[in-house]
Amino acid sequence: MNKRNKTISPGRFLCWLAAFITIAACAGILIYIIANGYKQISLKFLFTQPAPAFDESQAGGISTPVIGTILVTVVGTLIAFPWALSTAIFLAEYGGNKITTKYIRLGVEVLAGVPTIVIAIFGLAVFTNPVFGFLSSIVETDSDIKKAFGRSFFVCGITMAIMVLPFMIKVCEEAIKCVPDSYREGSLALGASKWHTITHIILPSSKNGIATGVILGMGRIIGDTAIVWLTLGGTMRMTGIQPWWKPANWLSTLTHTGSTLTSYIYFASPAGEGNMPLKAFGASFVLIIIILILNFIVDYLSTLGKQVGRDNI
Amino acid sequence: METTAKTQTVPAINTSKHVKYSKIKDFICEKIVVFLTMLSALMILFIFYFVLSKAMPVIKASGIGFIIKDGFDQQLSDAYFADGGQKNLVFGAYGLLMGSLFTTIGSLLLAIPLGVGTAVVIAELAPVQIRNLLQSVTRLLASIPSIIYGLVGLMIVVPFISSTLITNEMQTKYITRFQLAGNSMLAGIVVLAIMVMPIITAVSVDAIRSVPFRYKEASLALGLTYWRTIVKVVLPVAKSGIVAGVILATGRAIGEAIALSMVTGGIGNIPRISDGFVFFLTPILTLASAIVNKSEAMSVPTIESALFACGVLLLVSNTILTLIAKSIERSFRRSEGIE
Repeated sequence: MNKRNKTISPGRFLCWLAAFITIAACAGILIYIIANGYKQISLKFLFTQPAPAFDESQAGGISTPVIGTILVTVVGTLIAFPWALSTAIFLAEYGGNKITTKYIRLGVEVLAGVPTIVIAIFGLAVFTNPVFGFLSSIVETDSDIKKAFGRSFFVCGITMAIMVLPFMIKVCEEAIKCVPDSYREGSLALGASKWHTITHIILPSSKNGIATGVILGMGRIIGDTAIVWLTLGGTMRMTGIQPWWKPANWLSTLTHTGSTLTSYIYFASPAGEGNMPLKAFGASFVLIIIILILNFIVDYLSTLGKQVGRDNI
Repeated sequence: METTAKTQTVPAINTSKHVKYSKIKDFICEKIVVFLTMLSALMILFIFYFVLSKAMPVIKASGIGFIIKDGFDQQLSDAYFADGGQKNLVFGAYGLLMGSLFTTIGSLLLAIPLGVGTAVVIAELAPVQIRNLLQSVTRLLASIPSIIYGLVGLMIVVPFISSTLITNEMQTKYITRFQLAGNSMLAGIVVLAIMVMPIITAVSVDAIRSVPFRYKEASLALGLTYWRTIVKVVLPVAKSGIVAGVILATGRAIGEAIALSMVTGGIGNIPRISDGFVFFLTPILTLASAIVNKSEAMSVPTIESALFACGVLLLVSNTILTLIAKSIERSFRRSEGIE
């Protein structure tokens, strides 16, 4: 008996091997990006615009892609958060076990499985409609049919919101469901209305979980490339009225095309038109650092919140 | 009696006007919540409607030929250079479909053993510190953007394949059909396997952990070793949960666009099994990466419609996969009484 326990069976060995490969892959990717990327990082790289140049040393920096990432993330989160939170509140507090709730849940689950590339072309199909022309710009086609351009920071942000919606709903709903029933009963017994209970008792006590959902959603928005590539256009600089950073031109910037870190990496990688691998590594380094920071915040929040009982990956 | 009690305990709402006002506010807020919920539930229908309506011209003209006929690249360039009056609406995406199918199956064959093995280590074998490390690593792998996977694949996996696996004789032998340059199905499979593995691991860990403890106790009490218990008791019980995770990973693999468009070569060849090992080295194009690769030609309405038709295929296959995963998960929960 003892002897049998001490011998390492091949299956056990293979499991450990799989775990080791997982760690090696993760560490390999991180080390490769960081080792190649950190040399590129300088103030000049972070604060100059990308410039089209054959010579890689003249190709500028990543200021507009970084700003673009921030803009898309802010627009996307501002739209997705209230939307997802409302849906989560409905599913967790009002839904019950009714048949309509089941269909709503099903709709959200199917939406969660839709590939981002399909959501990207959906955004393109909707926002090239001239009705939504105010979100991007109107282009005149040769046959006098008005068509919206359908590519701008607003369009990209809204499409991103649709992409992260099911994900945020799930995390927020779980956070709300973790609030003990005794809180609800106590509040209702004191005469508070259901809505008052939700806004004053349930949401404050599930705020850590909800914050986790928002940050995970932001991570997804920051990391997505397909939606950016199709709905933000492939231009590396801001194309609104210049200079784009002046408050008077902000609206114009938001309704025009630009780039984010991810689309900059795609453009600068050997697969894209730019073919400037060093710049791509520099931008990847910045992207990885952002993702790592968001991950640490999520870890911190999950150790902070007492209501998060079991550790979900 | 009731009203006096209310005024004493909650002085803020002692006027009936205030009560009325807050009731109206509650009503409006609740209606907004219901409206937004309906909007998120109906979003999937909007997606189906818009993508289908854009894809309709090509689907109507090509019919079933869209999924059983080949020659997407040629048809695309014909449509691009077509005259104004001419409308090229017949497309055949069989090559793209096969590309998606082969990369997905190949990556799953790699990712399932890796993912389930890691999940067993996390849930059963590892001491606490290693378990925490592995969980962080899995979470990090899941949150690394696909563009990074694509870049690493392009800079490491593709050159590795072209330097170690491709010889000059092979290149000259296949030069009439395609150029062997390292950008290949194999690179796509490797990159995709690492990308979908964390999904399988995460779902499998949950499934293994939800196996009731008494099953393990009974097995150990009967004298089975810990490892035999895992193989014969824990994994069979967790099987349907693991299968649900694999199906989710399949959906992710089919829909992955950017990373694959970077490493698989971007030409819609159909890999032939008769080629032997070169089967894996064929440059291919998948449905999702075709949309990214050809997006610059989208200004041509016929090409736009063809790419939306690819989107329809993705949408339908992923919807079916999600529904299967959900039903498996539900039956699993019911049969184990975890509900």
